[in-house]
Amino acid sequence: MASLPDSDAALIARAVVSDDRHAFAELVRRHQSAVRACLRRLTAGHHALADDLAQETFVLAWRHLGSYRQEAKFSTWLYRIATNCWLADARKRKEQLLGDTADDLAEASGTAFAANAAVPDHARGATMKLDLERALAALSEGERAAIVQCYYNDLSHEEAAFVLGMPVGTVKTHVLRGKQKLKMALAAWAPRQDS
Amino acid sequence: MMTADRTSLDTTSDDDWLDAAVAADAREHGSSYLDDRGFTARVMNALPAPVAVPRWRKPALVALWSAAALGTATALPGVALDVGREAFRLLAAQPVSLPQIAAVLAAIGVVTWSAAAWALRSD
Repeated sequence: MASLPDSDAALIARAVVSDDRHAFAELVRRHQSAVRACLRRLTAGHHALADDLAQETFVLAWRHLGSYRQEAKFSTWLYRIATNCWLADARKRKEQLLGDTADDLAEASGTAFAANAAVPDHARGATMKLDLERALAALSEGERAAIVQCYYNDLSHEEAAFVLGMPVGTVKTHVLRGKQKLKMALAAWAPRQDS
Repeated sequence: MMTADRTSLDTTSDDDWLDAAVAADAREHGSSYLDDRGFTARVMNALPAPVAVPRWRKPALVALWSAAALGTATALPGVALDVGREAFRLLAAQPVSLPQIAAVLAAIGVVTWSAAAWALRSD
């Protein structure tokens, strides 16, 4: 009879108490996809940078595993570390992409493929995805992080607040503002109102 | 995909198309599993090296403590017995009343229950 896989909690206990690196490797294997995907979204599709930050995330997680108190799910705790790594890196690089100016938004909006009529159906999904990625990249760090945590990582506002280290109200504000900006940037994709 | 409270708070009817677009992108994003492709191995290689404690350290510590205890016992014969006897004599000489015993028991109870409540607290 095949034995059930160890829970995250059991693996964490083994890693902390016995310095068991095999247990930690299993945790990395389980969560690497989610953490890397989250960072790819935060870095606006920069896969190499996202993987570097994901590696840094897991190394930090290993160093601080003893301080994990299970006040949140392990994946949520990892998202928190990953988001902090991304924020630190973004501030260090002073990414031009993260500029939160009206010009950026206007550019994002202006270059959107206004594809409602011109683009064939099979290409619409891909173009919309590209536009969305570009519009997300034009949001401020806080807005993008809030949208990614709430929509892409499917966290509640409370969980997102834990991940982002900010009050729930601030998360809601970031989500609302982010959505308003996305709406502006993706205006070409809005359904036409026939009146 | 989207959590109920978030949807109700963030969405107006005007935002339906945007919510649908983001939700579709998020679904696609969530359903695509990223292959490991050596990522776990790279992480494990990047972890700090384990602290290497020499094998002789533990037996050496045990031997040193044993030698110290043996030396103390040899140098000061009967001291431990004398100390114990004097401590008992001092305690026995103290008059103990029932209220004092009750106070001590109550204090022990309070400490025990507080410790249990702290250990079983839910965050």
